[in-house]
Amino acid sequence: MSGSIIPIKTTLVKLAYVTPTIRRLDAGGGNPFRHGHTNACTQIDGVSVASLAKEFGSPLFVFSEATLRRKYREAHRAFARHYPDVQFAWSYKTNYLNAICNAFHQEGAIAEVVSDFEYEKARHNGIPGRDIIFNGPYKSRESLMRAIDEKAMIQVDNLDELLTLTDIAKQRSIVVPIALRIHINTHTHEVWSKFGFSGDNGEAEQILRRLTTLDCLRLRGLHCHVGTFILDPVAYRIAASRLVELAVTAQAMNLGPIEYLNLGGGFASKARLHGQYLPPDQVTPSIDSYAEAICSTIQTLWPTSQKLPRLYLETGRALIDEAGWLISTVVAVKTRPIQGATTLPIAMAAYGKGGQDLTQSRSAHGKGLSHSLSAYGKNIHTQRGALTHNAIVIDAGVHLLYTATWYQPTILPAKATADPLSATTVYGCLCMNIDVVREEAPLPSLTTGDQIVMHPVGAYNVTQAMQFIQYRPAVVMIDEAGCPRIIRRKEDLRYVQEMEEMPAHLAKPN
Amino acid sequence: MSAKLDDLLLNDRGFAFDAVDGESYQLSPTALQLVRWMQAGDLEEAVLLDRLMDSYEVDEHTARRDLDSFLSTARELGWS
Ligand SMILES: Cc1ncc(COP(=O)(O)O)c(C=O)c1O
Repeated sequence: MSGSIIPIKTTLVKLAYVTPTIRRLDAGGGNPFRHGHTNACTQIDGVSVASLAKEFGSPLFVFSEATLRRKYREAHRAFARHYPDVQFAWSYKTNYLNAICNAFHQEGAIAEVVSDFEYEKARHNGIPGRDIIFNGPYKSRESLMRAIDEKAMIQVDNLDELLTLTDIAKQRSIVVPIALRIHINTHTHEVWSKFGFSGDNGEAEQILRRLTTLDCLRLRGLHCHVGTFILDPVAYRIAASRLVELAVTAQAMNLGPIEYLNLGGGFASKARLHGQYLPPDQVTPSIDSYAEAICSTIQTLWPTSQKLPRLYLETGRALIDEAGWLISTVVAVKTRPIQGATTLPIAMAAYGKGGQDLTQSRSAHGKGLSHSLSAYGKNIHTQRGALTHNAIVIDAGVHLLYTATWYQPTILPAKATADPLSATTVYGCLCMNIDVVREEAPLPSLTTGDQIVMHPVGAYNVTQAMQFIQYRPAVVMIDEAGCPRIIRRKEDLRYVQEMEEMPAHLAKPN
Repeated sequence: MSAKLDDLLLNDRGFAFDAVDGESYQLSPTALQLVRWMQAGDLEEAVLLDRLMDSYEVDEHTARRDLDSFLSTARELGWS
């Protein structure tokens, strides 16, 4: 071939080779972002924190109806701008207080449930079966029968479930519409392989082939929830494109038509992960970037000869997290020893980094010299040579803040103060050493009776809060007119003991 | 390409700053070159291997072994 280019082996001198290595640097702890914000949270939706605690008690979960409705509308608008047929389903587990669910339902969300209990709850809230997306690795036979009767959208998680559905369908001589849950390795985080069938190793295709032999099941949709708090929208691009491929494969096998793709939840809220350096405002992708990633992928790849599938989303945390606060009260003030404090400047040592002194100033407490990070616009004071720093005990704890395992809530005092901030350990009220809400929060000096406010805590905490040695607190929602309304009362002894039974011979303690 | 890799800031001396989690890294000159190729879109191991062997005085065995361990670290850091 006359026009072809013959590669010429390059004779240039090659570069000297050294092993390609990546070494993490453990330098300079003084940085502008590590300590978070420093202001106060005196009110929520115009209602003073002090008055909320006074009227409803402390601790107290507070939700903002205006915020959750705004978040929903923003999310819906972002997707509707990019896609003609989009439907959100409120992910019940994220927060299934009925008032919260109904606010989302009023906005137009259907329900996404993952258990018999949640299914019942959605029905109790008046959601018809056809508007329930039924997910989860364990659906009892009874609940599957009910879901079939009520025409819920069953997203099949595993082969056992598929066989149970086949059995029910055959017994009743009916055709049951289903969707398949698929897990996909997006290479952005660990694949959630616990749920559904693998989209990576041929398992999904194998199930599709099996479906071609089962006349009693009809494939209507494909589902993929890639994970939660996904900081890279690329994950959704990859998942959506794989779902489209599988839909095309299914249709080529005469399954379908695939009427919907369900991309699950997982959009990040403005919570801050442990170890996250930049503030959430800079790290959390906009809802629009997720919408663009998903919608443009489907629209580009979906066969033009076929009607675009409906797009379902099961967004949880991104809609509710920032709408929830936890008010708590300081019940004790302590100090906490700092390990290795003599060898490193205190403020930085506490954060596990070495660093250098930036400025020295007299502390506002008049206790002598302190280090300060004020050169970086913050005022974190600790005493030179001190072996301890501040700690407070509050009347809430990790039993109410399950998500503190992964996220560090912003903790703000409920009153503005001119006091300098110091790294303060926030202990919860449980009699367990693990009950530390934050190892280091920048707080002014606080005293017993002072309130603090934690945010964002609206996702997963209310549903996962434990009744452990304390009654779970009341939950209020501030309505759009600025009026706080109880949506769950504080527990009491009667409530906690309601399900207990006493064998007669144990009825008396002696 | 992951957003983390895309956002990774590099200088010519091999200093790398991951703006997502605030960690800093020192890359050896070869690692720096590999990350630059990856940022330019060459994410495939086979392509990177070819480029390594074309540009550096290195035998295939060494290049394969080192690239394998380099890529697994890079993936662990979310640079993929
Ligand atoms: C199937 C399914 N859908 C939706 C969600 C909600 O996820 P998120 O709160 O991250 O949006 C979850 C939670 O992990 C889930 O498992």
